[in-house]
Amino acid sequence: MSEAASGKLNCWGFQDCAHGPGSAQPCVVATDQASNGVNGGEKAGRLCWAVGGTLSGDEVLAPCARQMNCLDCDFLHLVRSEQGRSFQLLKLARGVSDSQQLQDTIVNVESLMAIHERLRSHFDLNETVMEITGEARKVTGAQRSLVLFLKGEPPALHGQFTLKGKPRRVVMDLDENSAVGFAARYNRMVNLRDIYTANQLGGVPTFNRDYDEKCGCKTSSFLAVPVDDPEGRVIGVITVANAKKGYFSSDDEWFMGQYATEVALAAEKQKFIQQSVSALRLASIGETVAGLSHCIKNIAQALRAGSYVIKKAINSEDLQQVKIAWDILDRHIERLADLSMDVLAHDPGVQKYSKAGGLNELVQHVVDLFREEARARAIDIRFDPGKDVAAARFDAMGIYRCTVNLVSNALDACPLSDGMVTVATARTGEDEIMLSVADNGRGMDAEARAAVFGLFQTTKPKKGVGLGLPTVAEIVKRHNGRIEIETAVGKGTTFRVFVREDVPAA
Amino acid sequence: MTSTAKILVVEDDLDEAKLIKMVLEGEGYESLCAFNGKDALAKVGAEKPDLIVLDIMMPEMDGFAFCARLRATPGNEHTPVVLLTGVAQHIHESKYPLDGVMRADAQEYLEKPVKAEELLDAVARLLE
Repeated sequence: MSEAASGKLNCWGFQDCAHGPGSAQPCVVATDQASNGVNGGEKAGRLCWAVGGTLSGDEVLAPCARQMNCLDCDFLHLVRSEQGRSFQLLKLARGVSDSQQLQDTIVNVESLMAIHERLRSHFDLNETVMEITGEARKVTGAQRSLVLFLKGEPPALHGQFTLKGKPRRVVMDLDENSAVGFAARYNRMVNLRDIYTANQLGGVPTFNRDYDEKCGCKTSSFLAVPVDDPEGRVIGVITVANAKKGYFSSDDEWFMGQYATEVALAAEKQKFIQQSVSALRLASIGETVAGLSHCIKNIAQALRAGSYVIKKAINSEDLQQVKIAWDILDRHIERLADLSMDVLAHDPGVQKYSKAGGLNELVQHVVDLFREEARARAIDIRFDPGKDVAAARFDAMGIYRCTVNLVSNALDACPLSDGMVTVATARTGEDEIMLSVADNGRGMDAEARAAVFGLFQTTKPKKGVGLGLPTVAEIVKRHNGRIEIETAVGKGTTFRVFVREDVPAA
Repeated sequence: MTSTAKILVVEDDLDEAKLIKMVLEGEGYESLCAFNGKDALAKVGAEKPDLIVLDIMMPEMDGFAFCARLRATPGNEHTPVVLLTGVAQHIHESKYPLDGVMRADAQEYLEKPVKAEELLDAVARLLE
């Protein structure tokens, strides 16, 4: 059946592949006369995955399948959706003789595809392994299934399982006389149909009965399949024990091979996630340390130079010099104190000390702290206290830090003349209070607005640490609150911080 | 003794600039401040300083950009420059590369927090 006749694409058409029928080097899929017509395709053109692909049970031949897992292939999904209930996933000649067996196989393959889909969303290797071993038991009819990973020095196989509801660990060495040891050492599947006979015949490998004795099981048949990474290195073994049917069939072997692939994929994913997380964490620690160090260096510079000038001025009894240098020193001591408080606010273990009442008094206190600085810079600073916040319960230290940071930023944003900063509090909900700080300064463009909460992002590299707004954000997050920013370039910025009132401790 | 030399301090932080100026004046140097690169270039032309103490991280025109412009100004090809920086070099390598210090053709590179004595030593050495 040609593509034109059925109106359906064959794999070579879908993949735009140069190995179709009639080509100089046709793929095994394009010459498989026996599969002609399956899924409405020409040759095995709509059954490629089971003939030359990763589900073929043989060496992977199709060029496309060497680069990917067929279960992930869009073409397989296309054929599946086009064929609906008549979809054929496997080549029927694979030893399936009666219709019940065929039905079972289809159900099992469907389960394999379903698990593959589900595992994409798993991020925890243990969870994935549990799910895979559960499916492996179901599909092969085994009573027990276990995944062992190769780790440690000297390398040994480590596994976790549950026995009578209790978690257990098992460690096995790489003894080539034992089935799992052999599978791991030689990257070969071991299928012991009857371990009593196998053990008595003195052949290798055998099943290590110590394991049965330890866990109170009686194993009669055993299948161990190596799990290897993309480079072909063995990273573990997946096992099933005691088939209901008496022993594990070649179909079971094939399915277990697929499960081994899933375990390998899950392990790779885990490795990738761990590496990414650790790289991100290191980069973030590095940036944090660098940002802090830069800020501390600038403060230390002022302290060193300031103390030198003061010492010298004392010797020459120049009080005027002492006064000028002392004021500068004083400001930098404040900066250091602010820095340490802001750093502390980022400690996830920091405790909230909530108190009832006094919100307006606290904000007034902060405004008063900045009044002198505002006056020196000709900035009009005002506080508009909310009328119904008197009884509000809030985290005094958190709100204090928020107010200090927002007011300090607002003053710095103000224009050189006619600067104005307005601070206000208000009740905005039954259990919600708001603090707002507005300036008539330079405002922010979209780029500055987007970077405003980034750690150590500062528009004033010397004076600012770039820790103020991230600190506000961190505190607000801990109060289940939110921040609104209203800004216009050249007109000014208003920060509104909304926080949930603290529930009194029981 | 070169204590009568004129030194330009280029530093955008007013407090730090003021303190460095006081340290230098305490040793008898004549000192003036510029708070950004543009201001500094104007003062170089008008005041002809004998030495420049230069911060790297400044808004608009940073220390490196200033240095490049300075060297291109006739008569300032060899004016001694002391670079002062608090940048964590290993993290900001891409933005403020160390070889930028070489390219800036500065004679001295001091990392903050620098002791006043060290700064004065460097200044005295370069003015000899």
